[in-house]
Amino acid sequence: MSRIGVFICHCGENISRTVDVERVAAQVGTLPGVAFSTDYKYMCSDPGQGLLKKAIQEQRLSHVVVAACSPRMHEKTFRKAVESAGLNPFLCEMANIREHCSWVHEDREEATQKAIEIVGMMVERVKKNRVLPTITVPVTKRSLVIGGGIAGIQAALDIADCGHEVVLVEREPSIGGHMAQLSETFPTLDCSQCIMTPKMVDVANHPKIKLYTYAEIEHVEGYIGNFQVTVRKKARSVDEDKCTGCGVCMTKCPQKKIPNTFDRNLGMRPAIYVPFPQAVPNTPVIDRENCTKFKTGKCGVCQKVCGPGAVDYEQEDQLIVEPVGAIVVATGFDLYSIEEKPKGSPIKGYGEFGHGKIPDVIDGMTFERLASASGPTGGKILRPSDGREPKQIVFIQCVGSRAREKGISYCSKICCMYTAKHTMLYHHKVHDGQAYVFFMDARTPGKSYDEFWRRSIEEEEAVYIRGMVSRLYQKGDKIVVMGSDIAVGVQVEIEADMVVLATAVQPQKGADTLAQKLGISYDKYHFYSEAHAKLRPVECATAGIYLAGACQGPKDIPDTVSQASAAAAKVMTLFAKDKLEREPIVAKVREAGCVGCFYCRKVCPYGAVEEKEIRDRQGNLIKVVAYVNPGVCGGCGTCQATCPSKSVELDGYTDEQIVAMIESL
Amino acid sequence: MTNSIDTSIYTAITEAIQDEARRILSERSVIAVVGYTAARRKGSAQPVVITQADDAGKLIFSAACVNNLAVYLTKAKKEIPKGGKIGIVVKGCDLKALVGLLGESQLKREELYLIGVPCAGVLASTAQPARELTGDTIAPKCRECDNHLPQGCDFVPDQRPVTLELAGKYSAEIARLEAMTPAERWAYWKEQFKKCIKCYACRQVCPFCFCEQCLCDRNKPQMVETTPRPAGNTAWHIVRAMHLAGRCAGCAECERVCPMDIPLNLLNRKMAKELKELYDYEAGFEVREKGPLAMYDEKDDQSFIK
Ligand SMILES: Cc1cc2nc3c(=O)[nH]c(=O)nc-3n(C[C@H](O)[C@H](O)[C@H](O)COP(=O)(O)OP(=O)(O)OC[C@H]3O[C@@H](n4cnc5c(N)ncnc54)[C@H](O)[C@@H]3O)c2cc1C
Ligand code: SF4
Ligand code: SF4
Ligand code: SF4
Ligand code: SF4
Ligand code: SF4
Repeated sequence: MSRIGVFICHCGENISRTVDVERVAAQVGTLPGVAFSTDYKYMCSDPGQGLLKKAIQEQRLSHVVVAACSPRMHEKTFRKAVESAGLNPFLCEMANIREHCSWVHEDREEATQKAIEIVGMMVERVKKNRVLPTITVPVTKRSLVIGGGIAGIQAALDIADCGHEVVLVEREPSIGGHMAQLSETFPTLDCSQCIMTPKMVDVANHPKIKLYTYAEIEHVEGYIGNFQVTVRKKARSVDEDKCTGCGVCMTKCPQKKIPNTFDRNLGMRPAIYVPFPQAVPNTPVIDRENCTKFKTGKCGVCQKVCGPGAVDYEQEDQLIVEPVGAIVVATGFDLYSIEEKPKGSPIKGYGEFGHGKIPDVIDGMTFERLASASGPTGGKILRPSDGREPKQIVFIQCVGSRAREKGISYCSKICCMYTAKHTMLYHHKVHDGQAYVFFMDARTPGKSYDEFWRRSIEEEEAVYIRGMVSRLYQKGDKIVVMGSDIAVGVQVEIEADMVVLATAVQPQKGADTLAQKLGISYDKYHFYSEAHAKLRPVECATAGIYLAGACQGPKDIPDTVSQASAAAAKVMTLFAKDKLEREPIVAKVREAGCVGCFYCRKVCPYGAVEEKEIRDRQGNLIKVVAYVNPGVCGGCGTCQATCPSKSVELDGYTDEQIVAMIESL
Repeated sequence: MTNSIDTSIYTAITEAIQDEARRILSERSVIAVVGYTAARRKGSAQPVVITQADDAGKLIFSAACVNNLAVYLTKAKKEIPKGGKIGIVVKGCDLKALVGLLGESQLKREELYLIGVPCAGVLASTAQPARELTGDTIAPKCRECDNHLPQGCDFVPDQRPVTLELAGKYSAEIARLEAMTPAERWAYWKEQFKKCIKCYACRQVCPFCFCEQCLCDRNKPQMVETTPRPAGNTAWHIVRAMHLAGRCAGCAECERVCPMDIPLNLLNRKMAKELKELYDYEAGFEVREKGPLAMYDEKDDQSFIK
C-alpha cells in the first residue's frame, strides 16, 4: 500500500487567495493511499522543503505530491528535496494548482473544487510511478553559434577563448551583421567599424573558431550535449582555399549595376562581390541571379582574370554535419518596411507616408550608410534623388513600433537613441542645416543615455516636436510633413528636404523556420522566447539552446554584447562537466506487443529508435522489434502517441499513469 | 442486358497464372504460391497455398476471387512456409495493400514474386458466386477502381480488361454525408456503430491490422471497452478508422466480411479523401518510407494553428 504525502502550497497568496488550501489538504487527505496531507505558505522555501523531508522520514512516505506552481520551475527543486530524504526523485510529482487553477479562476468555491480534482489526479498518477535511475550522457564540448552579428561574434569569441571549439554559421557572405553597417554609435559616438572590424578579424584568426559564411542551418537532430547539426554551405562559386582576396575579379566584372543591399541599395556592386571592403572572410561570392555567366552562359571574365584559379562556376551547395553540445542562436533583427505588405502579413505598411515611394524618405539604417565614412557618399549626407545636401531634415520616431493598428505593439527600444544620434551626426556634417524630430516620448534609460539625448537638444539644437505625423507627400522637390505638436496643441507643417523614419525592429525573416528546426519557441512577432522572462533570460526552454542579441527582442549593442557573453557563460557551464545527468524520462518498447512496423522510428525526432532482432534459443529469428536507445531518446513521447499497438511507452508518462489520472475524474 | 461486364479474359488469365506458378515452383524460385482455387459451391472461389508444381492446375481466377490475399502474408503468416520467396496472386486493389506493407517493414520486396491480375472487377458480397458480372452485381469498390492493371509486378498475364463507366457509390455516399450537418452525420454513424457486435472479423481480414496485440485488446490499462456497447463500439470504430487513415487503399474486405453490414469502407474512403485533399497523398501506389501522417513538413498546412 502506498503512503503518499501531499503538500499544498499557498505560494504566498498566489494560490491561497482563490483556493481554500486547507480544505484541499483536508479533502485530499481522505483519499485512499494518502498517509499525510498538509499545507504551507511557501513549499519551495527552505523551511518548506524541510517540512517535506521531515514528513518523508517521520511518516515513512512512499510517494510525494506537491501541489503548487507549474513543474517547469520547481519540479527539480522538490525532486532534489525528496532525493535528499532518501526517496527516488521520480516518486515525486507536482500538481499545478497555480497556472492551471488559482491564476485563471475567480470563484473561490469552484477553484477549490478544481484544485481538489487536480491534486486527486496526481495522487492516482503517483501511485503508478516507478523508481527510475538517473541516466548520464557524454557532452560534446563544441558549440554552434548561429548568426555572425555582434552577438554571435561575442559569444563565439568568449567560448573559443575558454578553449572550446566553436562553429559559427552566418547566412550572408560576411560576418558583421547590422553593426558593420552603422556609422558612429551611441552613447559615445565612436566609429562602429573601428570597434567592430578587429573583432571580426579575431573570429577569422581564432584557432578554435570554424567559420561558415554564406551558410545556413539545414537540419538539427539530437539534444543537449549531443546535437547533430547539418549546415548547408551555399555555393559561393569561389574556392575559399585558393582565393587570395586580391579583388581583381570584382574590378573586372562587366556587370556592375547591381544595387548593394549592404549600402541599402544606394551604391552599386558587381556580380562577383564582397558586401563591404572589410568583409570577413575577404572571399568574394558570385550572385548567381545577376551574373551574366549564370544567366546566359557567356562572359566568364572573372574566371579568366583570377590568378590562383579560384573561380568555380560548377561549385555546388555542400552539406556538412557538425556534432555540437550547445547552440547559441544570434540571428538578430530586420527592419520594418513601410511598403505595402502582401495579404496575410500582420504588417500594414504606411500608405500615409507614400508606401516607400518618395525617394528622399529613407529609414534609419539608410541614414547610417549616408553618414558612414565608408558608405556610398563617403560620409556626406546627400539626398538619394538628386545628390543635394538637405537643409531641413525631419526624423520621425516610432514608425511601426507601438502602433497596434500597424501590427506591432512593442517599443523597438533603440530608435529614440539612434535618432538623437542621427540629429547630432547631421548637425556635425551640415552646419547650416536644421533637424526636427517628431516623437511620442523619449525613452532613454541606460548609462549616459539621457545625457546623450539632452545633448542633442541642448547643445546640438535639434528641435523635438512631441506629436505624430499624419501624412508625408512630395511637393516639387520638397517633402511636406504634416503633423501635430500636442505640447502646444497646434498642427505643424514642415517642408523638408529629407525625412528619416525610425522603423521598427523586427526579427529576421525566416526566424520561425529556424525555430522549428531547432525546436525552440517564439512569440507572435517571431522573436525567440527565453525560458523565464526574469530568471532565465538567455536560455531557451529547450535544453542546450541559448539566445543572444536582437533575435530575442530589440536591443542595442551594450545589451546585445552582455547577453552574448551571458549565453557563452551558460555554454561554458555546460561544458565544465564531462557527463550530463539527464532525466530518465525515456521511451521503452514492450517487445511482446511490438510488430516492427517502425512507425516509431519514422516519427522519432531524435533518431533514437533502432532495430532489434529477437531470436529463440536455437538462434532462429523470431521477429524484429523496435529498440529505443536511452542515451539518444529525448523523452518527447511522439512514438508513444504514434504506435498503433501501444507497444512503446515513456517512463514516467505511461498509459497506466495517464489513464489513472483520467479515471480519477 | 447492356451492363454486363466482359470477363472472358479470366479464362486466359487462369491459364497464364497456372503456367507461371508451375514454372516458378518447379524452378524452385519460390517455395509457395498464394492464390485462389475453386471452392465447393458452384462458381465460388477460396484462397489456397500451393507448394508443389503439380498443384498449379488448381489455381483459378474468376469474378468470385474477392479475397485480398495480402492478409495471408501478415497475420496468418504461420500458415505460409518459411525460408524462401513467396509467389502471390494480386489484383490491383490487393497490390496497394502489399505496397503499404512493404513500406511498413512487414514484407520485403525481394522475398515476394508478384503475379498481377488484369482485373475487370469481382462480384459484390451480396451477389451469388455463380452470377454473371454486371453493373449491378459488381462489388462497389470496383465501380471506382483506379488500378485495373497492376504495375510493378514480376508477371502479369498479357490480357487487357474491358471496363464499364459506372457511377461511384462511395463518392455519392460521401457527398451525401458531407452535405449533412455534423449532428445528422453523428446520428448516422452512431446508428451504424450501434450494430457492431465486436466480432472483429473486419480486423481479422484487414491486411493492415497486423498488430499481434490490438490496442483494443489491451487491459492494463484498458483502452477500449470490450463489450459491444455503444461507447466502446464507437471507440473501436474511431481507432480502426484512424489507424487505417493514410494506409488503407480500399480493398473493402472489412466491409465484405462484416456480418452486420456496417459501411466500413465508406469511413475508410472518407479518410482517404481527407488525405488526398490535405496532403495530396494516395496510399498504395508507391512504397514510401513515411506517409503524411508520420511526418512533419514545413510546407504542411499550418492554418489550423490559431
Ligand atoms: C539604424 C540603427 C542604428 C543603430 N545604432 C546603434 C548605436 O548607435 N548604438 C547601439 O548600441 N546600437 C545601435 N543599433 C542597434 C544594433 O544594430 C543592434 O543592437 C545589433 O546590431 C544587434 O546585434 P545582433 O548580433 O543581435 O544582430 P544583427 O546585427 O542583426 O546580426 C545578426 C546576424 O545573424 C545573421 N543571420 C540571421 N539569420 C540567420 C540564419 N538563419 N542563419 C545564419 N545567420 C543568420 C545575419 O545575417 C546577421 O549577420 C542600431 C540599430 C539600427 C537599426
Ligand atoms: S510503432 Fe510500436 S509496434 Fe511499431 S515498431 Fe514501434 S513499438 Fe513496435
Ligand atoms: S520518446 Fe520516442 S519518439 Fe521521443 S525521442 Fe524517445 S524514442 Fe524518440
Ligand atoms: S477494385 Fe479494381 S482491382 Fe480490385 S477487384 Fe475491383 S476491379 Fe479488380
Ligand atoms: S466486422 Fe462488423 S460487427 Fe464485426 S467488429 Fe467489425 S464492424 Fe463490428
Ligand atoms: S485497429 Fe489498430 S491496433 Fe488494432 S490491429 Fe488494427 S492497426 Fe493494430
